[in-house]
Amino acid sequence: MTLVVDHLYKRFGTVAALDDLAFEVPPGQVFGFLGANGAGKTTTMRIALGVLDADAGRVTWRGTESHRLPRATWGYLPEERGLYPRMRVIEQLVFFGGLHGVPADRARREAMSWLRRFRAEDLAIRKAEQLSKGNQQKVQFIAAVLHDPPVLLLDEPFTGLDPVNVMLLREAFLELRDRGRTVVFSTHQMEVAEALCESVAIVDRGRMVVGGRLRDVKRSTGRRMVRISVADDHRLTWLAAVPGTRIIQAGMDRSSVELDPGVEPEAVLAAAVAAGARVLHFEVADPSLEQVFIDHVGHPVEEVGHLAPAEAEEAEGGTAAEGGTATEGGAAGDGAAAVDAA
Amino acid sequence: MNAGLVPTGREPVGRVDGDGGLGNIALVAKREYAERVRSRAFVFSTLLLAGLAVVIALIPLAVRFVDQVTVTRIGVVAPDDKLGERAIAVMDGFLNAQLESGAPATKRFVFEARPDVGTASTEVREGGLAGAVLIDRKADGGLDFQVLSVGALSQDRAQLLQIGAFAVGILDWTATQPPTDRPFVPPAFAVVDAGAVDSGTGAVGGATIDTAEYASRRIVGIVFVVLSFLTLVFYGLWVAAGVVAEKATRVMELLISAATAEQLVVGKILGIGLAGLTQVSLVLAPALLSLLLSGEIGDALLGEDPAAGTSLAGLSPGLVAAFLVYFVLGFSLYAALYAGAGSLLSRAEDLQIVALPLSIPAIAGYLPAVLALSGGSSSFIRIASYVPIWSPFVMLSRLSIGRVEAWELALSIGLLLVTVPLVTWLAIRVYRAGVLLYGQPPTLGTFVRAIRG
Repeated sequence: MTLVVDHLYKRFGTVAALDDLAFEVPPGQVFGFLGANGAGKTTTMRIALGVLDADAGRVTWRGTESHRLPRATWGYLPEERGLYPRMRVIEQLVFFGGLHGVPADRARREAMSWLRRFRAEDLAIRKAEQLSKGNQQKVQFIAAVLHDPPVLLLDEPFTGLDPVNVMLLREAFLELRDRGRTVVFSTHQMEVAEALCESVAIVDRGRMVVGGRLRDVKRSTGRRMVRISVADDHRLTWLAAVPGTRIIQAGMDRSSVELDPGVEPEAVLAAAVAAGARVLHFEVADPSLEQVFIDHVGHPVEEVGHLAPAEAEEAEGGTAAEGGTATEGGAAGDGAAAVDAA
Repeated sequence: MNAGLVPTGREPVGRVDGDGGLGNIALVAKREYAERVRSRAFVFSTLLLAGLAVVIALIPLAVRFVDQVTVTRIGVVAPDDKLGERAIAVMDGFLNAQLESGAPATKRFVFEARPDVGTASTEVREGGLAGAVLIDRKADGGLDFQVLSVGALSQDRAQLLQIGAFAVGILDWTATQPPTDRPFVPPAFAVVDAGAVDSGTGAVGGATIDTAEYASRRIVGIVFVVLSFLTLVFYGLWVAAGVVAEKATRVMELLISAATAEQLVVGKILGIGLAGLTQVSLVLAPALLSLLLSGEIGDALLGEDPAAGTSLAGLSPGLVAAFLVYFVLGFSLYAALYAGAGSLLSRAEDLQIVALPLSIPAIAGYLPAVLALSGGSSSFIRIASYVPIWSPFVMLSRLSIGRVEAWELALSIGLLLVTVPLVTWLAIRVYRAGVLLYGQPPTLGTFVRAIRG
């Protein structure tokens, strides 16, 4: 009863795009498919859709091989966005709905309902070429979900959206999940995945690195993190006494300290007490997904050579802006052990 | 989040039982058709071509009008000078005398002697002479007439010349010394296209042509051949441009995940093909109407002329059917080639890479088709009328002229029927691989790899 990516191999010339890639997506979940550009995310989705053939291996949904499944099983948002430039938005949506077997009048109703939901009803009669990139992306997302497929495959759905639209899209994801749909999305923005996913798979150069429930993945490195709040001291100079620690976020109120595998959180607390610091808050948490990714893959997700300068910049900007949300989400969602020492 | 805003369905609304084969083809075709027919290019080119076709259709009328006021210069080639002089005198007297009761004071025909067939046919081809009457004495003493012209003399001119030839024949029979005992036989009379004369030997070859239909057949043939050539090449290019545009705008990514390559290719060919057929109908309808009415228009404008036959003589229902069959098959063939080629391109600017190589074979078929229309029937033209990428033009023009064996037609259509699905299948394979390829303009190797999948 799951989506199974079953040991896929795919070569393009001399490049191995997929090298024994295997993971399972539990049904009715939001699933994050994480990796840098070129890791094989798009190729995997294309194989699932039946647009590409794997050299070996297969993708199954509820036990049926993907190329035997009707195309309407899938709702696909391609990474490369595109619509018919001269066609009106509503006509495009009815057209794509029709290709998936939705009758025109019903497709029209669904399309309008989705546009309302995305606060974009006025787009319906506009031609695609008149839309901003973010609006085109919303229209494409609607084209992917209009026929209400059991599985959604969304390739980098958040890239290029403004914060309001990111929020609207996240809400849509969660509701689709609540309605029993399986949402698989690829991203290189770890904090988005951290906030949304119940399970993730991290891939690198076509190989599976680590996967499973988000909490298990985060604990897979043995690394942990503490959040500490000390009265009248935010520089935490005493921390130098504990090897294998690193301040990743220093703040007046609270600082985050990352621990290398093997370093016990208690050592940090003991050092603080020994230095005479007044500890107001101490909390043990899992590391950020970003850190987990770096530990497993060996480099940050944005550090990819072939990224255009503008793209790389954008990716980094996104990370900085959303860092806070993501760590907090991680701590709350995964029930971190918190000790209030006041 | 307000759950009331969630779009309706709780059940999957998409099709889950099949893959919407024919339905999707129809949807794709419908979209393509609407997009083409609504485009400005379609509207303008339809108006332009329709106007052009009407003009071509009215050419016989114009010819008839010009005929009325011009002098026709005819060369006469006879086996001996005496016969030549006599023939000129007789025909001049006969044909121009006829008009003495009529209005024009000028002569309608001027006859001039020419020393041999070569000289006469050269002048006819160069336009110095409207035609040449070639007189030959047969072994039994009777006369044999051939009228040499480029294209065709108008029907009434040809008939008048035949009357003249008849008169020459009678006078020659009576003037023979000593009087022969052979009975009078009306002289043989045939109109021959000057293009068929081998100017080297001066021998006249080629089949004879019935002037009554000749002009009309050629005009119908030209309209059909030109129209199908233009439509096939332009609409073929439209197919390629459509595929490239879908790739360049990346809407292809959505399309290919929503429908199969087969549905997309066949739907596109169907939709654009129907748009082409629509245009052809819109272009032909007024032209055919003009042809139908040109007799009446001519009679009203130029006065009744019983010698002028109907201009529609060349347009049989069979020819219209053949035009449709060759149009549909030819378009499918070219559209599939263009679709496959277009799928390997990434940007609209690259279209020229495939436009030229694909239009060269079309032009290579179009030229023999035009040659065939002027009565040529070399073995190259015959073979070209079987070859699938050429037969849609060449066989059409051979049919217009009207000298095609049934087995030739069957062979030509049969080969198309085999080739079209084969090429479409190949195009779908190329398309399936090609639509996801972006980057360098394609090389031959890309095609081969795409076909091998």
